[in-house]
Amino acid sequence: MTPPVSPLNESRVRSITARALREQRSGLVGWASGLVLFCLVMLAVYPTIHGNASFSDLINAYPEPLRKIFQLEDYTTGAGYLRTEVFSFVLPLLLTLFAVLWGSDLVAGEEERRTVDLLLATPVSRGRVVRDKWLALLVGVTALAVAMEIVLGVIGPLFELHVGWVGLSAAIVGSWLFALAFGTLGLAVGAATGRRGLARGVTTSLVLASYLVATLATLVSWLRPVRNLSLWQHTMAIDPLGTGFHAERLALVAVVTGLFLLWATWAYDRRDLAT
Amino acid sequence: MLQTAPHQSSAPTREPVVRLEAVTKLYRGGGGVRDLTLTIEPGEIFGFLGPNGAGKTTTIRLLLDLIRPSQGTIRLFGLDARRDSVAIRRRVGYLPGDLALYERLSARDVLGHLAHLRGDVAWAEVLALAEQLDLDLQRPIRTLSRGNRQKVGIVAALMGRPDLLVLDEPTSGLDPLIQRQVHELLRAAAGEGRTVFLSSHILSEVAEVADRVGLIRAGELAAVERVADLRQRAAHLIDVRYDHEPDRDALLRLPGVQRCDVSGHEAHLEVAGDLRGAVGAIAASDMTDLSVREPTLEELFLAFYDYDPSR
Repeated sequence: MTPPVSPLNESRVRSITARALREQRSGLVGWASGLVLFCLVMLAVYPTIHGNASFSDLINAYPEPLRKIFQLEDYTTGAGYLRTEVFSFVLPLLLTLFAVLWGSDLVAGEEERRTVDLLLATPVSRGRVVRDKWLALLVGVTALAVAMEIVLGVIGPLFELHVGWVGLSAAIVGSWLFALAFGTLGLAVGAATGRRGLARGVTTSLVLASYLVATLATLVSWLRPVRNLSLWQHTMAIDPLGTGFHAERLALVAVVTGLFLLWATWAYDRRDLAT
Repeated sequence: MLQTAPHQSSAPTREPVVRLEAVTKLYRGGGGVRDLTLTIEPGEIFGFLGPNGAGKTTTIRLLLDLIRPSQGTIRLFGLDARRDSVAIRRRVGYLPGDLALYERLSARDVLGHLAHLRGDVAWAEVLALAEQLDLDLQRPIRTLSRGNRQKVGIVAALMGRPDLLVLDEPTSGLDPLIQRQVHELLRAAAGEGRTVFLSSHILSEVAEVADRVGLIRAGELAAVERVADLRQRAAHLIDVRYDHEPDRDALLRLPGVQRCDVSGHEAHLEVAGDLRGAVGAIAASDMTDLSVREPTLEELFLAFYDYDPSR
């Protein structure tokens, strides 16, 4: 006879990172399903468009500003279609929205729900709380990005959609890094203020500003000098699908992300936590 | 754990477990604590008593470094509350007054998580505490009653046998039977030389377990008394019955008698200090019945400090 499995075994939820992922489990599954579904729908439509000359004519008839904003060049090829329908804004901004909503909650939510007293009664430094929470964000955003890469790269060819792995990976990495940077900013604003709603509001506004500045700069000349302040410019506006990896730009965004994290740690450590 | 030898424990150089020196923490919206000075010695149960909003929770959260004082110094185990916070928290178990738990987890996951972060907590000890308090670890937190949530918090504070227990209103929401269990656990901890700092707005609770009581009112420490001293200093109440109307003036002349009320054949006296003179004289008189009782701590505080829990 096998010994009965004790219902009182020790918990598997151990580290702060593990708990953050466990608490976000259903959220992660929901976002992953939504994003995968979106990609599948986009792939399913592609065979209709692929090599269809009337679509090319239609798009060439669009005004040039529109073609630029939605990156409509070579729409009927695999890379062009993905660039427009998936990477021009929907996938990177959805991934970023997930990262911002969760990042803003990771540190500030614990304070708003008043569980922070219990957490910081244990011998962990506030710096470790910020770091371990951020690691959960990193794992979550990476998991979603990997799921997208697999769906588009493996299932895409079944729908006649072929893009090189390098271009696809560069576009996924660009989206991933853009999302991670702003997710980290949300975490930092939350850590600095203890207010989740404020963190979400401020960070979402900055995401949209970043996107708009980089995108509209292709049309509006006076925006051109400031577009290098936009993280979108360094990750997505440079067309990673067509031009591949831009190591210096990715490194720059990674450094900015690191600075957000340092600011989160510093700001969280120096203030009173709310009751 | 190392046991401190008796001759060392009485050495004057021994660090108090908690030392607050002129600590001030004020909030913009009012509230907080002002110029708080307090020391707590190893092995004692210190009761922190005061009405809601008097500054009990502020003081406790200062000890845990969740908030920082505007002025003054806070040391625990001789360590700086802010700089050495992690080292201090290794030795402290804390039950927040406004306890909130991770709603999406089970009681087991919450305690497992906290035990992991605390380090060296034997899971068997968690199970034993849960059983002692009659807590079902399987249930998700969101389905637990207020009392059961409080039990989760108490287990979290007690597990790992910390040297200092800081408990903010520990028995709130618990039924009387479990309250007694908790009090026993606290006495056992003090018996092992561990220190307990507990807050309450209920005098009888503090009186039941504490060695010393600090009374905080409107952010200021109004009094710190040993419970035993308070009792000793207190006037005793003597009720005497006669088969005739007693002579009030004669009773008032007895040694130590501060007050005397006569109603019918009965006299009620308040006697301070040594009782022997008054009781001896009354016993030798033609009385029919005599009872001496001690005032409750509640009556004492009411008498000494005009303590009103509703204020």
